[in-house]
Amino acid sequence: MTEWIQALEEAIGADKVLSSPIDLIAYSFDGTFEQHVPDAAVLPVTAEEVSAVVRIASQYDIPIVPRGMASGLAGGSIPTRGGIVLSLTRMNHILEIDEENMTATVEAGVVTANLQAEVEKLGLFYPPDPSSIKQSTIGGNVACNAGGPRCLKYGVTSNYVLGLTVVLADGRIVRTGGKAIKYVTGFNMNQFFVGSEGALGIITEVILRLICKPPYARTALVHFPTLHDAGESVHAVLTRGLVPAAMELLDETAIECIEEAMHLGLPLDVAALMVIESDGADKESVQREIDAIADICLQTGASRVDVARDEERRAELWRARRSISPSLARKAPNKLGEDITVPRSAIPEAIHRIKAISAHYGLPIVVFGHAGDGNLHPNILFDRRDSVQWEKVEHIVGEIFQVALDLGGTLSGEHGIGTFKLPYMRDALGPASINIQWRVKQAMDPQNILNPGKVLPEP
Amino acid sequence: MNEPTRELQRSAEEEALHCVRCGLCLSVCPGYRESLRETDSPRARVALVRALREGLLEASTDGYSEAFFRCLLCGACTFVCPSGVAVDRILELSRGELASQGLLPEALSNLNDRIAQYRNISAEKNEGRLIWADNLPTLPTGLGKKRAEVAYFVGCVSSFFPRSYKVPQALVQIFDRADVDYALLGGTEWCCGYPMFIDGELDRARELIQHNVNAVQATGVKKVVMTCPSCFHFWKHSYPAALGVEKMEDLGLEIQHATEFLADLLETGDLKLRKVRENVTYHDPCDLGRKGGVIEAPRRVLAQIPGLRLIEMAENRDSSHCCGGGGNLESFVPEVSKSVARNRIHQAADVGAGTLVSACQQCERTLANAARAERLRIRVKDITELVLEALEE
Repeated sequence: MTEWIQALEEAIGADKVLSSPIDLIAYSFDGTFEQHVPDAAVLPVTAEEVSAVVRIASQYDIPIVPRGMASGLAGGSIPTRGGIVLSLTRMNHILEIDEENMTATVEAGVVTANLQAEVEKLGLFYPPDPSSIKQSTIGGNVACNAGGPRCLKYGVTSNYVLGLTVVLADGRIVRTGGKAIKYVTGFNMNQFFVGSEGALGIITEVILRLICKPPYARTALVHFPTLHDAGESVHAVLTRGLVPAAMELLDETAIECIEEAMHLGLPLDVAALMVIESDGADKESVQREIDAIADICLQTGASRVDVARDEERRAELWRARRSISPSLARKAPNKLGEDITVPRSAIPEAIHRIKAISAHYGLPIVVFGHAGDGNLHPNILFDRRDSVQWEKVEHIVGEIFQVALDLGGTLSGEHGIGTFKLPYMRDALGPASINIQWRVKQAMDPQNILNPGKVLPEP
Repeated sequence: MNEPTRELQRSAEEEALHCVRCGLCLSVCPGYRESLRETDSPRARVALVRALREGLLEASTDGYSEAFFRCLLCGACTFVCPSGVAVDRILELSRGELASQGLLPEALSNLNDRIAQYRNISAEKNEGRLIWADNLPTLPTGLGKKRAEVAYFVGCVSSFFPRSYKVPQALVQIFDRADVDYALLGGTEWCCGYPMFIDGELDRARELIQHNVNAVQATGVKKVVMTCPSCFHFWKHSYPAALGVEKMEDLGLEIQHATEFLADLLETGDLKLRKVRENVTYHDPCDLGRKGGVIEAPRRVLAQIPGLRLIEMAENRDSSHCCGGGGNLESFVPEVSKSVARNRIHQAADVGAGTLVSACQQCERTLANAARAERLRIRVKDITELVLEALEE
């Protein structure tokens, strides 16, 4: 056994340090097709144990890759340089739900859906809802600034972070922010760590802002004969002062995959579907809003609008929406899911260009996503064992990013950069921005041991 | 989401290829939820199959075999998988390969040796299968009957483990009250073969399967009823392929779980049930519900009992949570089994159930033990016991 693994065992206990070949395979991947085997995986249960692990990693100059449930779609938690995978899944306690101040204090490994279920029992609400809601953790959500359908109305994870406990690269434990809603004392260190993908520090605890749960919601399934019409409807709804909770777009291949997986009776003869939800505190106004949205959609090209008749159907539609990405595996052995954003008005044009790329290379690209936010998930379907296809995929990825940048958008809306988008970072941000971000990284982690080779291209 | 039986049967390798590693299976895997160690997850097992093909490790690598047997076989992962990966099939094929390479964990290969020698799981004289009938007020009418309409296939656990005698005892008393024409098979009943099948040794089970079908057919019955969900699931969904037929009906046999038989009996027969004022929750056994496809029948039975209020647990029906007794895990990693049972009994407590009813001798035992260990005031019963109580004056 290597010296540093022994040091880890002495520091946090041998039962929390895994280094068998079987365990290392289990900690070698995330929600993508890439993998790299680490040298050890650790399962700490306190910030102090995380700190002890970081100190050892620093002492022996070993990479350390934090992760939650490893459902990420950008390679962010793959230990691409070996070293230590630090899993926060056992730090899964909801420490406090403060009903009076409407906050929740949770350990990083709490599963997002579990937190939501607990706060909703008290009439409270934690809105961010990435599709991986059941298989991702709050720590991972904060580290990638996760979004989700409801973020159209309610904002993304960063809008709910009031405070953090972070283990720094030298092992020090720092607390940022607090329960107070307003907090302008010093730099905004909460937002500094949000979306940092484990490269600036390891988040071990989070104070989250909660809101009241809107008691009423109506969900409509809107049929569109063309993708362009769907884009028009999004624009029309949002510019007339309506704020739906979500406007989710599914193209025909996405619909086909979901239907195959779940048999929901979705129409297979439309070019696109949108799932649009309206929610709020007043039953009548929610109904009025969904009716108004339905009217606008019908005026702007929708061929049909079905409002979910009951809660069961509504839940079904959302479960279907969350299952799109994994259900694509029914069409091809591999998928590469992108996460571009464009200004909202550019959605029809973005989809048009992506479909043209698909036609040019002869590989299917499924498009779905958060239309209201201009956040699209083009998913390329392919078989990685076929070298010709793989080569095409690499070209397609570059071209999709170029579409996003040309239309005034960017590489990622909610998945993060990880390793997958690294080669495109210079184009997206430019040299000055990369340079200052890299200097920040060096200040925080001079040895470059925290999730090295992720987020930022190294100089 | 996925059908219990699927037409397309892919190889383990092909199945594994369709896993996109989204991780949704982690959210429903009772073993993973307990250990929070990725290695115990369905996703990791699929990754191990791939790693084996990619030459990153070998089947004999320390811990490889164990990873495939540290599983309750509850099937929740297969059911929830949006990519349509039949994780259960991957496990079945991998276990088969491991068994053929002599890599079966010792406790399990010993169990299969015992079954082969004694025709039952407990290494007792197989003639002793009806000892449970000795303590009944009157002898069951099905005892020693050579011809009948229905055969009751009791299963090893209820035949040999005194704790579970109450299940067959209850069912035959109900049968006798309703004048059901049934036969008990006694020593001609052999282990159904399920333990060998799930341990990857289906070939060793073939002799048992053929024998059991012959024994049942010798009584001229049209219907075989089981209280054990595992016997039921195996008879109904695996026997046909092993016997070279499409379904058991092709051999003139209808396979029913006792809850299906009782639901029909109570809905159409003359049996009168008294009021049972009780908050009851029903625990779907994995082999009966999600895997066996029998979900409504037990609820139909409970609906026939006046006064009974059925409350569903957070995870119910297709999404039921294993009792901890699945997949032979208990004899192999008892601590995981116990903690899974503990989680399930707390789900019952969370909805305020006074009684938890299941339809499986295994679930009844693991959950009753968990209730005791957790000091929860929840009675745990098999559904046959509850029906019998409701029948009494």
